[in-house]
Amino acid sequence: MRARLMTMMVIVLLVSTLVTNCTPTPTQAPTPTKEAAAPTEEAAPTEAPPPPAPEFIEVGASIPLTGKYGALGAMVKPGYEYAVQDINDKGGVYVKEYDAQIPIRLTIYDDESDPTKAVSKLETLYSEQNVVAYLGGAASDMHAATAAIAEKNKVPYLGIAFALYAIHQQGYQYLFSPFPKSPAQARDVFEILNAEIPEGERPTKVAIFQETTDWGIELAGLWKENAAQYGYEVVVHEQYAPRSEDFSDMILKAKQAGAEMLLAVPNPPDGIAMFKQMSELGWTPKFSLIIRAPENITWGETMGTVGDYVTIFPGWHHGEKFPGVEELNAKYQAEFGRPADLLTGPAYACVQILADAIERAGTLDRDAIRDAIAATDMTTVVGPVTFNADGTGNVLNPLIQWQNGQQELVWPKDHATADLLYPAPPFEER
Amino acid sequence: MHVMLVQSLVFGILVGALYGLAAVGLSLVFGVTKLLNVAHGELLMFGGYATFWIFTLYGVDPFLALPVTMIFLILIGVIVYGLLFARMVKLSEETKIQNTLLVGFGLSLILQNLALRLWTADDRGVTTAYSGWAFTLLGVRFPIVRVASLGIALAALGALHLFLQKTYTGKAIRATAEDWEAASLMGIDIHRIYLLAFVLGTAMAGIAGALVSVGYSIEPNMGLEWTLIALIVMVLGGLGSIMGTFVGGIVLGVTQALTSCFIGGTYREVVGLLIFLLVLIFRPQGLFGAKER
Amino acid sequence: MQKKGSQVSKKIAISITIVLILIATAALPLVVKKDSTINLAILVFLYVTLSSSWNILGGYAGQTNLGHAAFFGLGALTTRLLWLSGRPFILSLLAGACVAVGFALLIGIPAFKLRGVYFSIGTLALAQILYITVGNVFPMITSLPTQALITYQLVPRYYLALVLALLTIGTAYLLVNSRLGLGMMAVREEEDAAESLGVSALQHKLLALSASAFFAGLAGGAFAYYHVGYYPQFPFTPVWTFDAVMIAYIGGTGTIVGPIIGGIFYVVVKELLALKLVELHLIVFGVLFILAVLFLPGGLVEVWSKIQTAFARRARGQEAQAALPRDTGI
Repeated sequence: MRARLMTMMVIVLLVSTLVTNCTPTPTQAPTPTKEAAAPTEEAAPTEAPPPPAPEFIEVGASIPLTGKYGALGAMVKPGYEYAVQDINDKGGVYVKEYDAQIPIRLTIYDDESDPTKAVSKLETLYSEQNVVAYLGGAASDMHAATAAIAEKNKVPYLGIAFALYAIHQQGYQYLFSPFPKSPAQARDVFEILNAEIPEGERPTKVAIFQETTDWGIELAGLWKENAAQYGYEVVVHEQYAPRSEDFSDMILKAKQAGAEMLLAVPNPPDGIAMFKQMSELGWTPKFSLIIRAPENITWGETMGTVGDYVTIFPGWHHGEKFPGVEELNAKYQAEFGRPADLLTGPAYACVQILADAIERAGTLDRDAIRDAIAATDMTTVVGPVTFNADGTGNVLNPLIQWQNGQQELVWPKDHATADLLYPAPPFEER
Repeated sequence: MHVMLVQSLVFGILVGALYGLAAVGLSLVFGVTKLLNVAHGELLMFGGYATFWIFTLYGVDPFLALPVTMIFLILIGVIVYGLLFARMVKLSEETKIQNTLLVGFGLSLILQNLALRLWTADDRGVTTAYSGWAFTLLGVRFPIVRVASLGIALAALGALHLFLQKTYTGKAIRATAEDWEAASLMGIDIHRIYLLAFVLGTAMAGIAGALVSVGYSIEPNMGLEWTLIALIVMVLGGLGSIMGTFVGGIVLGVTQALTSCFIGGTYREVVGLLIFLLVLIFRPQGLFGAKER
Repeated sequence: MQKKGSQVSKKIAISITIVLILIATAALPLVVKKDSTINLAILVFLYVTLSSSWNILGGYAGQTNLGHAAFFGLGALTTRLLWLSGRPFILSLLAGACVAVGFALLIGIPAFKLRGVYFSIGTLALAQILYITVGNVFPMITSLPTQALITYQLVPRYYLALVLALLTIGTAYLLVNSRLGLGMMAVREEEDAAESLGVSALQHKLLALSASAFFAGLAGGAFAYYHVGYYPQFPFTPVWTFDAVMIAYIGGTGTIVGPIIGGIFYVVVKELLALKLVELHLIVFGVLFILAVLFLPGGLVEVWSKIQTAFARRARGQEAQAALPRDTGI
């Protein structure tokens, strides 16, 4: 008995030391990304000296770094961090009210891909760090929760990596998203096909494999609407609940109906299963737009030749010829051994937009920053950005295609790194 | 139409075999040791990653790499059992289930996030040169990777079955499953038997994970989904029956496929679960389970 | 004589502690103005409510229900739908709890034909059915309208969650100390023996299930009132069940304080780790969790009883060592 008690005590001690040891560790993320050198050249003393400048501009982000959206969060995080680093390397953001350049301090928390945890993190950022702006995580259900908190706390919110349009129809005032939305994705695919492919060769018979989520429903509806307008016919429209192991039934229906084009927004496991089974069942669409699943950098090696010819609307590509992209790619290359990932650019742009807005606002007042973001008109690494009244951004919506295991930018032409390959040869002939 | 139906059935069986295989390991461990290991899905994931890395780094075919994957998983099994579960064996039945659930839960958190840190959250999978190949019989396509997976699953189950039925150790395992006190009185080393059953279970999880990485994809977060499938299939087949578990998997797979065919993909899982509950209402001990005392 | 005296003083001490805790929790929003702290407290209360409600059936009646998320989800779904369509919140909340109870009664009789693991996995399957179906039927995010966000206050949510937690704990306490509660525990220990003594196992289990579902439904309603935006499917995710079960287990099942200690540990420690360690926190939490289980197989409540025993032993010297009280009651 006594021995057990002793071990107990030892363990309690051990655990508590573990906790206390963990607690004060200054890990990278919550600490300032870069302790920028204090602005050396003080402004010449004029009549009324400005109030003392705060040490940092506090900005906070809750990102899904673990859990089901971990792959998305991993692309977003470096984008924010690099942008903050680049701005701080130049001394920070000039704020007129204080007549000083102030570095940005970015605090990043992990929300485990759980909207409730994300809400907690945003409240902490608001109460503890007193942030002037939020940067969003990834995926629509996370944004739906966090954007509402931003609205409640009246903190401007910049978020990417979600195309769901419905979030923007709530009348939110503080939500801004420099990212292509479903209406653009549903329209552009037909625009591009009609521009690139001569009549008679177009894949006019369309199959939609629709996930029963709001985004799936939204896009399927818009695709159906647009298809008729552009001279396409939806011959198969099948639904499935996310996380399915067997798509054989809908694939066979599409094959039987002679569908030539596939439109879908599967999550990665579903997208992988879908394409593996398509190849096994011998149905190759001439053209396929698969948003989301093929965005992961590992799609190419996971799928081999089966993954080629698939196209995506990811929102950005490292081949875009906008100022700053090359530097971003170089930085990413140095850390990760490849050019910047698809979501890294838009994340980087969020910080650029924020810094620009703060500078124009000339103050750290949240409402003034919000108004300045709304009036944004600048060129970022994702190209020119302006915002509509509902917070959606007017941004480029590039089409990417997997070719030889690489993500190539195929549209618009002036940025293209490769031509659109069409039609896709049957799986067995690759 | 009937070609489509048969095709769906074939896919249902192929998917179901994987369900069954995923559940067998869990069922074996639970049946023998009464440890309910909810980190089973995470062990399966590690099997998938083992296969993936052997394939990616050394170019070894995933089917040929199976023995290595199994050894890897057996090692993990020895460590996990020795460090954690061995301590629970002596507890009373109720506390045992409670504490193994807790430990399994903590373990699944650790394994998940370890995988995430080591290999990123990106989805991965193994695609070999022959991945898309299929042969056609009477208009029905048989993807060779999945057929091979079915073969592997059957072989693994058959070997396990023979081992349990024919060998002395196997008999000792079954005796322990039935009544460990009696078995212990007969001079069977309970601890060794438990360890053996546990690592056999993890090895089966490893095979299942390897096949998942070939037929589907793997990611750090996949464990829970497979644990749930395995739990349901284990109970559907009936505790303590290896072949029952496998048949349970096939039943679930086929039900889902038929649902996709006749009702639509949206409710395939729901109908599968409803059938499961119906079975339980009429046979509360599962399809092949022994009646509870 | 002396023993009785010490028991009375122990009772007084416990009462004073409870009153102090009540005052402290009631006064918290007045003292602490930080939304983050209040938010965390709401989550603690929510999880304590959910876990205590699970504990009524799982801990006291011995039926390991792995479908608890279904009750939580039904409460959340019903409350949210009614409340956002303009019904008074309190009525919506009660309606949510009633729907959860209705579902519990509907499934109770067939479910209790199953025993042990079969019951657990059967209820798990039930909850999964609801989870997928709700996802199919209500795929749209439910967000609070902008006007509601402008007037959104955490404090009323705080008091709601606090009251629910107290209500659940109080009811659980009264229940387990009543004849019904004794019956439930008899069923847990030896179902057939209880039956032979005239305790209807089914009735007691159904009662425990209904009570469990009722409070889980209330917790769901509070979640619907609290959360700004989520998919209706989200409260049905099996993770809610596992969290409730883990909290009860780690705290100590079949005790009143177990879910409270467990809830605080589970929510607060995890959140602190998340803030300090960011993406590494789940690994550390997992390790802590396992350590706690390995060395406190009866749950965190054991810390208390072990300290108590240690003190008692020191006070009484070696003589009492023969008959150590194994006090895991409360």
